[in-house]
Amino acid sequence: MKLVVEHPRAGQVAGEAEFVNGKLWIHLNGRTICIDTEEKASRSKGKKGKNLGVVAPMPGKVTKILKSVEDSVLTGDPVLVMEAMKMEYTLKSDKDGQLKELFCKVGDQVPLGKLLAKVES
Amino acid sequence: MKFKRIAIANRGEVAVRIIRACEELGIETVLLHSEADVGTRAYRLADKKICIGPAPTAESYLNIEANVNGALAGGAEAIHPGFGFLSENSHFARKVIEAGLVFIGPSPEATETLGDKVSCKNLAKKLGLPLVPGYEGEDQSVEKLISEAEAIGYPVIVKAAAGGGGRGMKILKNFSEARELIESAQREALSAFGSSKVFLERYLDRAKHIEFQIFGDATGKVVHLFDRECSVQRRHQKIIEEALSPSLTVDLRKRMGECAVAITQAAHYRGAGTVEFLLQDGQFYLMEVNTRLQVEHPVTEEVLGVDLVKAQILTAQGDPVFIDRAVFQPRGHSIECRLYAENPYLGGVPSTGMLGRVHFPEGPRRRFEYGFESGDEITPYYDPMISKVIVWDETRSRAIQKMIRVLKDTTVFGVHTNIPYLIEILSHPEFIQGKMTTRFIETYFAQPIAEPSLTDAEKFFVEEAQRRVPRAGTQNLTSSSASIGDEVSAVWMKSWRGV
Repeated sequence: MKLVVEHPRAGQVAGEAEFVNGKLWIHLNGRTICIDTEEKASRSKGKKGKNLGVVAPMPGKVTKILKSVEDSVLTGDPVLVMEAMKMEYTLKSDKDGQLKELFCKVGDQVPLGKLLAKVES
Repeated sequence: MKFKRIAIANRGEVAVRIIRACEELGIETVLLHSEADVGTRAYRLADKKICIGPAPTAESYLNIEANVNGALAGGAEAIHPGFGFLSENSHFARKVIEAGLVFIGPSPEATETLGDKVSCKNLAKKLGLPLVPGYEGEDQSVEKLISEAEAIGYPVIVKAAAGGGGRGMKILKNFSEARELIESAQREALSAFGSSKVFLERYLDRAKHIEFQIFGDATGKVVHLFDRECSVQRRHQKIIEEALSPSLTVDLRKRMGECAVAITQAAHYRGAGTVEFLLQDGQFYLMEVNTRLQVEHPVTEEVLGVDLVKAQILTAQGDPVFIDRAVFQPRGHSIECRLYAENPYLGGVPSTGMLGRVHFPEGPRRRFEYGFESGDEITPYYDPMISKVIVWDETRSRAIQKMIRVLKDTTVFGVHTNIPYLIEILSHPEFIQGKMTTRFIETYFAQPIAEPSLTDAEKFFVEEAQRRVPRAGTQNLTSSSASIGDEVSAVWMKSWRGV
């Protein structure tokens, strides 16, 4: 919906705003802003450094697993390969340690945020 | 013959583009779509629709039999393949012809000669056209490929022999990463094009990507419709294209145009095609021929005043095209930006979900090619391109200025788009001067762009909006857009920069 607000100093501010699936989307001064209060809260929690190994950064398909359980891995080592939107992405470990468990197999369609491989130091 | 009905073996904005051309020619359309694409603009616009399979491309858009059967069941006389998917698959073209239908595109023989990058290079060699040094042998073992890469000298680029659009392409910088990247390129090639065959080329590290639009009419005569520059690429995927190229002298344009016509004429090319070149230090090298319509065809249409899709259909019917000789006089400048569903502040991570408000600011010589509208879902199954924005103006600098304004006034809610990224590219001095090379993005835009902070007035607007906008706006109960778990955001922030 079109929204016009009256700012005490800047005067009238006009833009478009709409909730889509729980997130507030705003188009204002030539840019689009997405406000997601849940995401903000979780992101600040994530910053505490809770690295687990490999987490799916997008929904997609697992196409190759490069490490086996009990392999030792270093931060940045490729662990598995995913395909999303027709592009291939190599997912790397975010910590040093030993690969403890795999939560996917080749061919699995995995959701965003799923823990795919657990690495323990 | 005049077609009464044409089947479209594609989706998204290009399916809409083809439907529009058919409508204007008085031809009915049959959309061959997957189960996932019922909520798309092409589905709503097509006269008939036939579901050819489930969402995964191998079972629908890449399924030759399903597409041919769908076209027959829909009563079509011809199939337009669009771009991507089966558009450059000669086996598909053959099956279409065997079924008694017309394939809107070149003959399967021409596709094989030019579309297979190896045989294309052989033809170019025979004609004495300039090529980049490389390996295109039959021995596809990883060992052989590594030793050939060593012989060519790093950096070396690996490409899918049957490919295009950046898939199955990797750059080898040194021996240590050669094996992993070659195997990865072979897998991508197999998954995207059904063949794992790759070839190698010396990677030119400060080259410009220039391509010529060619067209073979029904009488067998091939002409070129000038050039486009597509140097702005990320991971070999084009982002911004323009016509004409700001980089060509009169002499280069003439010689490259002749080269483009020579190779396609030699293959008896029919319909729309593109000859791609790399240009470095005033030398040009023929790279490949795309035996189909290109995503970026609209910029050529804008500067020449032609309709390439209509020309394809008319040619397939045996009718003459480009009757007005004035089409060979380019005018002004046109730019196209590809809108991708991705988050520019997180390094381009794909963004999926249901679209809220979608608004394009109409105006003279502004063109919007889009396949999705409010309420449609952007799924993870297909390419992330959701639309294209094309502008024309008298000069390049005015076209850039116009594009920036049009992008700023464009609204897409529900998924993130690369609009902020596009605006930064268009504002970059190297782009404005027209000096960008294919490494422009990796040089200046390797990191995610910074999300600008909100002014006081904007913060105030956001707070007001949170209070006043009804929460039950656009909602989709079946949406799979997961809320982000606390582990994921940390990973997003780090790992996406490297992929």
